[in-house]
Formats: sequence, C-alpha cells, structure tokens
Amino acid sequence: MTAKLDVQQGTLALMILRTLDVLGPLHGYGVARRIEETSKNRLTLNYGTLYPALVKLEQEGVVTAEWRQSENNRRAKYYALTGAGRKQLARETRDWQRTAELIAAFLAPRRGEEAP
Amino acid sequence: MRPLRVALRRLAGVFTKHRADPDLTEELQAHLEMETAEHVRRGLAPDEARRQALLASGGLTQAAEAVRDQRGLPWIESAVADMRYAIRALRRSPAFTTVVVLTLALGIGANTAIFSVVHGVLLKPLPHEGGDRLVYLRHSMDGPGGASLAFSVPEVRDFRTGAPALAGIAEYSSWTVTLQRDQGAERVPVGLVTGNYFDVMGLSPVRGRLTRPSDDGAGVPPVMVLTYGGWLKRFGGDAAIVGKQLRVDGQSVTVIGVLQPAPFFPDRPEALLNMVISEHHTSSYMVEGRTHRMTEVVARLAPAATLALARAEVAAVATRIQAEFKDAYDPGSHHRIAVIPFREVLGERARLTVWLLMGAAAFVLIIAAANVANLTLMRGVRREQELAVRAALGAGVARLRRLLLVENLALAFLGALLGVVLAVFGVQLLTSLVERYSPRANEIRLDAVVLTFTVVLATTVALLLSFLASLPREGGLAPWILAGAHRLTGGWSKQRLQRGLVVVQIAVSVVLLAGAGLLTRTMIRLSEVRTGLRTEEVLAIDVPLLTPQEILFNPGADASAKERYDRMRDEIRALPGVVDVGIGYPIPLRSSEVRFDVKVDGKPLGVGEAMPRAEFRLANPEYFHAAGMTLVSGRPFATTDRRGGGRVVIINQTLADRLFPDQDPLGNRIAWTGDVLRFTPISPEWRTIVGVVANTQDGGLDAKPTAVVFHPYAQELALSGTLVIRADSGVAHLTAAATRVVRRIAPTAPIDEILTIAQIKDQSVSPRRLNAALIASFGMLAVLIAAVGIAGVLGFAVSARTPEIGIRMSLGADRGRVQRMVLAEGGLLLGIGLAVGVAGAFFAARVIRGLLFGVEPHDPTTFVGVGVLMAVIGIVACWIPALRASRIDPAITMRSL
Repeated sequence: MTAKLDVQQGTLALMILRTLDVLGPLHGYGVARRIEETSKNRLTLNYGTLYPALVKLEQEGVVTAEWRQSENNRRAKYYALTGAGRKQLARETRDWQRTAELIAAFLAPRRGEEAP
Repeated sequence: MRPLRVALRRLAGVFTKHRADPDLTEELQAHLEMETAEHVRRGLAPDEARRQALLASGGLTQAAEAVRDQRGLPWIESAVADMRYAIRALRRSPAFTTVVVLTLALGIGANTAIFSVVHGVLLKPLPHEGGDRLVYLRHSMDGPGGASLAFSVPEVRDFRTGAPALAGIAEYSSWTVTLQRDQGAERVPVGLVTGNYFDVMGLSPVRGRLTRPSDDGAGVPPVMVLTYGGWLKRFGGDAAIVGKQLRVDGQSVTVIGVLQPAPFFPDRPEALLNMVISEHHTSSYMVEGRTHRMTEVVARLAPAATLALARAEVAAVATRIQAEFKDAYDPGSHHRIAVIPFREVLGERARLTVWLLMGAAAFVLIIAAANVANLTLMRGVRREQELAVRAALGAGVARLRRLLLVENLALAFLGALLGVVLAVFGVQLLTSLVERYSPRANEIRLDAVVLTFTVVLATTVALLLSFLASLPREGGLAPWILAGAHRLTGGWSKQRLQRGLVVVQIAVSVVLLAGAGLLTRTMIRLSEVRTGLRTEEVLAIDVPLLTPQEILFNPGADASAKERYDRMRDEIRALPGVVDVGIGYPIPLRSSEVRFDVKVDGKPLGVGEAMPRAEFRLANPEYFHAAGMTLVSGRPFATTDRRGGGRVVIINQTLADRLFPDQDPLGNRIAWTGDVLRFTPISPEWRTIVGVVANTQDGGLDAKPTAVVFHPYAQELALSGTLVIRADSGVAHLTAAATRVVRRIAPTAPIDEILTIAQIKDQSVSPRRLNAALIASFGMLAVLIAAVGIAGVLGFAVSARTPEIGIRMSLGADRGRVQRMVLAEGGLLLGIGLAVGVAGAFFAARVIRGLLFGVEPHDPTTFVGVGVLMAVIGIVACWIPALRASRIDPAITMRSL
C-alpha cells in the first residue's frame, strides 16, 4: 500500500480550483472524492482540512458558494469558480509547471547514477 | 487588495459567524451522509458505512472549529470573549466598578482638561508660519516700569543694520483709537505696524489682504486689518466688512482684510493699522527720537542663524549704542536687551500657574490610581479562588494576565470616557482662568493630541494595575491551584504593596494640601492689604474725551474737554446720594502708563545712583476726598491751582521717602526730566510740593507701591478723564443716572469703563483666587480619596485577619487592645506618609514661591495646620476599621475557622 501524504495548503487550493474547473460547480464531498480519486487514494482529506480551505477561497473571491439540490435530491452547498478564480488557476498552473520542471531538472539522476 | 479583502471578511466573520453556524453544520452533515451513502452503495452495512465516514472526516466538531477560525480572527474573538467576561464580572460588582470608574474619571478628567491648557498655551506650535523662528526683543532696566521699556525707532534701525541674524524686524506700537459707529463711539485697542509686519510674523489673511511695505510712510491712505477676534467682537464676523470705510479718530479708514487667528504680545489688539493713522507715529519725534520708546519688536531669525548668534549680535549692538548715546541710557539703571523665542514670551505669564495646576492634577491622578490599585489588589485577593479555578480549567498565566488587563482596560477607558466629559466642562472654566494670563487661551482644545494623551494615560493606568496583581510565574500555577482552592491569601506580607500605596497617597495629599494652604493664605494676606483708597461706595467712570491725536497736536481741544468734564462733575454731584465727585487720570487703583524720571531742585544725583522715576497722575481738588485717599501732610489741590498760577504737585509717600528720606518734602521743588519729555506735552518746569498722600496699591495688591506725582488737573493736559463718584449708599445704582449725564454732555465720547473701586480691586486678585480655589479643591479631593484609601486598606486587613483577631481575643486580648493594634498599624502608615509629605511640600513650596504673597514658602502655620488636618482625617479613617476589629465576636470567629 502506498503511504498516505499530507496535503500542503497551497497545493490543496490549486487542486480544488482545478477540480472545479474540470467538473464545474461541485459540493465539498464531490471535491474531496475527486481529489482522492485523482491522487489514487494517496491523499485523504478530512473535513478540517477541506472546509477551511474552501472558506478561504471564498473569502479571496475565487470561488462562490450557493445551496442547491444535488443529483440525488439532497440539499448541498455547491462551489463554483469565479472569473478571478479562473485567472488564478491559469497563473498558478503555469507557476507550478515551471517549478516542477525546474525541480525535475534539478533532481535528474547524474550520469552513471542509478535512478532512484 | 486580496489580503485586505480577506481581512475585512474575517473581521466581519467575527461578528457574523454565529449566524452562519447552522449552514456549516448542514454542509458537514451533507458531506457525511453522501459519504455514508457511497459506502453503503459499495456494500458496507449502514452502521459500518457511517463509522468509516466519520473516521475519514477527522471529527465534525474539530472541522467546525477549524472553519470558524478561518472565518473569523481567533485572537479578536478571544479578546471579545475576554471583554464580555470582563464586563460581566464588573457588572457583578457594581459598587467596585462605580467607585473605580468615578475615581479614575476625576483623575483622568482633571489631567485631560489641564493638559489641554498646557498643550494649547505652552506646547502647541504657533499658528504663525515658521513660528519657531520668531523671537521677541525685550528692553528692560532697573526701577519701576523698567521691566518692559519697548524700543525707539532709531534703536530698531540699529538692529536692522547691526544684527544680520535677524532676517526681518516687525515693528508694532500699541495704540488706542476711537471708532465712530452708528451705535456710538467705541474705544478700540489697536496696533500700529510697519508694512513688513505680517510677512515677518508669517501671518495670512482669511479675508482680503494685509498691509505691505507700500503702506508705510506719511503720504499713503490709512488702512485697517481686523484681527480675527476683533472681527468677531466688533463686526460679528461680517464678511462684507472688507472694503468698507470706517470713521477712525476722525479719519476715513479702509478695512482691507481680516487676519487669521493669532496670539499677540504684550497686548491684544482688535485691529492693526499702518502708521499713517497717527500723526505722531510719522512725526520726527517718533522717527528720530532715540528715547521715544513706543515700539514692540518681533523678529524672524535668518535661515542659517541660531538664537545664540542673534543674542550675541543684539548684545553687541546694545553695547555699541549705549557707549555712543550716553544720554539715552542712564548707566545707573542698567539697560539690557533680551532675545526670547516668541512662543516662550507668549506663555511667560501663564507658565508657572499652568504647570502648577498640571502638577496638582498629576498628584490627584497618582492618589486616584493608588486607590484603584488598592481596590483592585483587594478584589484580586478575593478573586484568587476564582482565578485558581480558571487556572485549573486550563487557562495559562498569560491568559489570566490578559483577562486582568482587559478588565482594567475596560475600567480605565470607562473612567477616561467619563473623564473627557468632565474635561469638556473643566476646559471652559480653565479657559476663563488662563485668558488672564495667556493670549493663546483661545487655542485650548480637546484635540487629537490631548485625546491621545488621555488614551495613553488610561492605558498606562490599566497596564500598571494589571501588573500589580500577583500572579505566579508561567508554569508555577500548580501549587497555586492547590492552595487557592481552600485558602484566602491576605497575610501581612502580601499587603506591603498596598501599604506602600497608602503612604504615597498620604504624602501626596499633604503636598497638595500644603500648596492649597499657602495659596489660600496668600489670598487672605492679599485681602488684608489696604488699597489706600475707599473701596466701598466709590464708582469710577473712565471717559476719554480726547484722542491721542488731539492731545498731542491740538492744544485748543483741551479747554473744551475740561469744560465738559467740569459739567459732568457738577451734574453728577447734584444726583441724589452723591457725596463728592473727583476728576483724575488714570483710573484709581490702576497703574499709570505715563512715567518719567524725576529730579529735585538743589539735590543732584549721587554718582552711580539710579534716576528716580515716578508715575504721572492727575487730580482735581475733590479727587482725594472722593477716592478716600489719606493726605499725610500739606494740603489738597485748591481751585486756585489753575493754569497760569504757580505750578504745584502732590507726591505720594513712596516718592517722599525716596527723594526726601530725612527731610520734610513740603515746599521743595521737583521737575520731570529726561530726553523723552521732548516728545510729550508735559513741561519740564519746576513744581512745588504742596502735599504728600498715602500710597495706593495701583500696581496690584501684591506689588510694591510705586512713586507717584499728582498734578492739578487744571494745570496739565487732560490725557483722559476718570470721574470718581463717592456716594453714601448704593453707588452701583448710580451707574445708570451717571451714564445718562455723561452721554448727554459728550454724546460721541466712548465710555471706556464703569466700575466700582471694589470691582477694580477684585479684578486684580480674581485670577489668583480661582487658582487657589482650584488647587484647594484638588487638595480636598486628594484628601478624600486618600482617607477612603486608608480606611479601605485597614478594613481589608482587619477582615483578612479576622481569625487571628478572634484567636487573640479568645486568648484574653480586650477590645481596647485590638483597637490599639489596628490604630497602631494605621498610625504607622500615617506617620510615614506625613513625614514624606512634609518633606515633599517643603520642596514644592519653593517651586511655587513666585505665586505667594505675604507668606513664606515654609510658613509654619500652614505646615502645622496641614499636618494636623491630615492627621485628624487619617485617624478618623483608621478608627472605622479599628472599631470593626474590636467588634469581632471571638465565639463566632472560632467556630468558622
């Protein structure tokens, strides 16, 4: 079994934004499921991590929340990206990719060294 | 922008999160149920599904808490909680809260009010542009009237050329003009200024324009700039006044502007005019006369110059001209010139009084804060149980400390709030007091600086109070919790701080009382001073019939003025109840501004001896009788002492003693002398002394009488005329009838003042009286608070020692012994406090020496009186707890142990 990882605050926000971008308006449970599935269950999100992050994004004005009927007729709070959210997502995605490339290049195995 | 937005939302969240809570619960619940449903769909049993879902959630309560922290600001929330708790706790002990808030309100209110005076009158930068570069030049010398001589125009010219450190020198000459208006004539104090005046002073107009150098000289039209105060007082702030023509001293003068509010020195003009309005000021007398000193000088330091440089240059000029013009500077009188920052000179007269009040207020606050500290300490001891419980429930030392701080802040700020309300009234009272001393009284405000001072004061008090409470060090709570659960700590050792505070209170009260005592004794001494005049049933009406212009340049006007004065005298004399009417100059019991050097026929001045100087006064034959002055020897003036007759004078006792120490002055001849006489209508002829009158306190009750020469009013120019009316009763009722007579005979003449002699006397002491009353009320307040303090601390000690006293009594101590024990405790504190206080008062008395009259700073009567008073009050305050101690019933006490 793969070890479970803790999510870093900044990365969680990015994951939430990306999820909402791909799937459209979604409730907290949906966001959590999607992130866990995408991570192949290497990440688990407890409520105390997820919901404060959602509140923070709402305070920043990058997501909005509204109460709606869910697919199985239950009232749930749906989060949706705002225009500012989309911009932030694009910017952060670009930043992350650059950082990832940089780190990857940095940590590339030296010649003659075994890949880890 | 984003962090700000988050901050604002979080701040809003502090207040709204409770409303949002059901929402959050529902959201979390929905999540849980969706997850449970998912598990069920995958084939788990419902119970297991729910268990798994809960497990994954990490706890709903914790999540809600985390969300709440994100929504709001946790530290503000706990502060709000602390505040709520503090308010609840204070509401539970209303007596404590009321006493503390009132005590602090008095202390903080007094300090706020008086600080607003200190700030407005002494500290605040001047409203003048670059006001800290302005300096006032003071010319003084020994002898009466020598404190402020002013300058002559040639002297000002010497400084212009000889002192480059003074970039600009503004000339200002005090003057009085008569303003003819529809409602009658008004005497208006004005300043005649050079065209550079406003530029040098850094003042701007609020309406119209100011005078400029092109307004200088003789051939220009006269113009007037109203001061802000004069504009409001004379014209009700009428904006249309600019451009209007006014009738001033018989000439047409254009009002060109209104000046910004600004303080003046040494007098308070209502308008400023260019020199051309006064023929005298543009005459060669004024412009060329070196001893014709009528000009006040304010200068602006050159950009690179320092005060020290300016002083050095001015001193050099002074030395040079004194050597060059020996006649103009009598060496025996020691002429000197001081260069003083303008702001300092404006605060000069107010400084000692204002700082004295500030000191007294600070003392009151110290006593008040000490009392509050004691109350808090006692309450703290009673609350140790409560705090221990809170500590046991997990509150750390820091949190407890913060709780106390929040509570004390709440108390201090409630006190401050009430104090500011008190200060609003106090400021009005103080402004009317300080107006007599400072031209800046109208700048006194409860402004941002003053309120900042109040906030700092309240916060400091709260911090001090919070750190007085004894809390254990961080980590040392455990033993305290154990002990606190069942024991009230209140042993003697713990009370050292409280007793120290009581000693401070007593000492400070003694200092304040001593100050109040000395000032009150001063008032009594002053009221005992004999004025040399009859103060009851004498009325003075000052009616200047001639303008300075007419006095100086129109000798013919004098005869008609005298004829009108005589008619006024005759008609008022005929009014019912009038005993006698005199005519004189100036108003009795006020100094004459006209002073000259005096010489004696056949008695040359000794080498190095200062030139004797005397005041010039006028009197008609009835004057001395009407004013109730005592003729020591010789005769009063007679109707035969008229123009053309032999010139005679009557001198006062001071001048007689000065000129004829061992000789009868009657029959001797004296004359005015000095260069300056050339510029006056007063002749230097010899005059024979025909009488000597007793001294009168014209310079104020606390001043040494100055030398005076009375002239027959018929023989000299009527510089002005004051009718002195003596009645057999109810002289105040004569005012209306006498005014009607004056108005009928001189319809266009202004009436400067109508006062009884008693009022004039009262005016000269009323600022002192208010001052003494303020300090005395501070003193009484201090003693009251201190007495409550002593009684409170001893009372608390008694209740803390109830078991001990009970044991003592059951072992055979009688009531008297217990009483003595408590009294001895209090007496010790009282004794130390008295000793410290008396020592402090000796020092404080030396500081206020300048405000005392007829009382030594170390006046034994005052000190003994204050000591006895404090001791009596202290003993009474000790007696109450002592009585309580002696009433302790040993049986009851022992049972409750």
